[in-house]
Amino acid sequence: MSTSEFLWAYLWVVLLLTLAVSLYGIIARPNMLKKIISLTILGDAVNVMVVLIGYRLTYPIAPPILPSLSKEALEGFVSSAVDPLPQALVITAVVIGMAVNILLAVLAIQLYRLYGTLDVREIAKRGGEE
Amino acid sequence: MDVVGLTPIIPVLFAFGLPLTSIIIKGNRKIIQAYALVGTGLTLISAFKLFQLAYSSDKPLIYTFGKWVAPIGIIYEVDRTSALIALVTAALMFLIAIYSYRYLEHEEGLEWYYTLYLGLEAGLLGVLLTGDAFNLFVMIEVTSIAAYALVAFYRGRRDAVHAALKYAFIGAIGTTMYFLALGILYGAFGTVNLADLTAKVHGMDFPLTGAPVGDIVVASGVALALATWAFLIKSAIVPNHFWLPEAHPAAPSSISAVLSGLVVNVGVYSLIRFLYTVYGGELAPGLAKVVGTLGTVLIALGAISALFGALMMNAQRDVKKLIAYSTIMHMGYLFMAVGLGTQLGLQAALFHIINHAIAKALLFLAAGMFIHAAGSRDISDLAGLGRQMPVATFSLAIATLSLVGIPPFNVFFSKLLLFNALMEKSFALAMVIVVSSVTALVAYMRVLYRVWLGKPSREVVMGESGSMAFVVLLLAAAVVVIGLAAPVILQHYIEPAAAQTMDYRLYIQTALEYASRLKIL
Repeated sequence: MSTSEFLWAYLWVVLLLTLAVSLYGIIARPNMLKKIISLTILGDAVNVMVVLIGYRLTYPIAPPILPSLSKEALEGFVSSAVDPLPQALVITAVVIGMAVNILLAVLAIQLYRLYGTLDVREIAKRGGEE
Repeated sequence: MDVVGLTPIIPVLFAFGLPLTSIIIKGNRKIIQAYALVGTGLTLISAFKLFQLAYSSDKPLIYTFGKWVAPIGIIYEVDRTSALIALVTAALMFLIAIYSYRYLEHEEGLEWYYTLYLGLEAGLLGVLLTGDAFNLFVMIEVTSIAAYALVAFYRGRRDAVHAALKYAFIGAIGTTMYFLALGILYGAFGTVNLADLTAKVHGMDFPLTGAPVGDIVVASGVALALATWAFLIKSAIVPNHFWLPEAHPAAPSSISAVLSGLVVNVGVYSLIRFLYTVYGGELAPGLAKVVGTLGTVLIALGAISALFGALMMNAQRDVKKLIAYSTIMHMGYLFMAVGLGTQLGLQAALFHIINHAIAKALLFLAAGMFIHAAGSRDISDLAGLGRQMPVATFSLAIATLSLVGIPPFNVFFSKLLLFNALMEKSFALAMVIVVSSVTALVAYMRVLYRVWLGKPSREVVMGESGSMAFVVLLLAAAVVVIGLAAPVILQHYIEPAAAQTMDYRLYIQTALEYASRLKIL
């Protein structure tokens, strides 16, 4: 296994571990804010995964520049370039994720105003009654 | 721009225009209401034109954004199923907008309510019309974010904010999983266009994107599992149902009607699109096994949901919570039908989506009239109001009788179809429908009995508002008419829609006609 292959495998393992940690955080942490932070970690881990799906391991690493506008240059470029579509998808997902996170943060602030705590055990104990 | 692309654009424009407009008109409620009615009304007209077009054309309609065709750009591909559900969606959204005005007469922030409401409508229509799996993700998010915020409309109430936060949390996890599924599908197939995916799954060629690069069986298995998880959350199927009985009752009744009637359909529709079009028809053995397993899981979870929802209905004191559990039950039916993978199953699911949307919206709106008058959701506080509010009681009775499946109301016929479709698979599954319906009947009769014959807890004089009464009467009439005309509707609308959705070759072919116009260097 070459170094680059090792790093590639390492990256995927770390990402899967991050995914697991974030799911643990969402399920097990009692603080609402910690849950929201875990949710952003989950979103980020998935985003990086999708970017990696479009990534291509090539050596030597070339900058994404088309040297000249000819068919040969284009073919060489396409055979080494990284797929840009997943990156475009991720940009959209990042923006949507921001909207969701802001909404969650606003709701969490509102929850704190109403209950005086963000601990879900405490909130569950008090229930929905005023 | 033709009507296919226009339909979801109208509510988007109206939604974005509303905050500014409300500053200019200084928050005049009458103008805001008129604005919302124009927005939803125009959408309804557009959806109706779309419906006519889809049924007069013998192949799906295509709209290309900016003339970028299938595998490169995002396209809308509208078949009869999409157009039919879109028409029902637009019609209900219009009627519920009429109802909302009086229901929210004591609340501040009507302009924000309608901004989100129109955004929600745009998202729902986008989900139905899109021909691109990534656009589906975006539209599901648009629908969801508007829905989360609308659940928290009563932002000073503890239950509303808590329910919205819970709903947003579980929803965000679900859509993130769907996004990961998209990444995996793209990694294996090299495309996120639905027609292109369909072609690749069935081993056909599609211009420009080339052959699949990965192991499509493993990738399909993982991606379908993740995507189905997301759809199960969106449609509140056991064990992902726990947000719904809190979120739906906490919202204003008009929004409860939208959430229970229309928003939960997003999951079912997306799953129909994936299982019947993309992974429909004859498949390679490996893929067929994946889809078969998924179908079995869906049927099992659907049956559990149906029984669980029916049982929990009997344990509720809050009338809206009771109706919310009924939604879980009906979603269970739909997933059982979708899991069958047969044409009869699809017909039953389609007809039931429509009937359930109308009857459930009617039920929430009728219950909302009582809640509006009494200021409480507790069944014991609503006791005896029935005699003072004849229209609401009449509509409540029609909706409950319809939802439990009493002929000649509409849900009876879709339940009959569900029963027949499940009978092909096994007798026990068909009995789930009967058992859960009877259980639900007990719960509904308890509500009706208390509201109609119960002893009033306090002396109050109730009036019924004209616009609210008009909407529920119209929907009650729709329930009866669809019930009486069920054979005609089935033959002329449901069967062609199901046939077209299952015809994956036609779905590919239509997108391909556009794709082949591409000129490559």
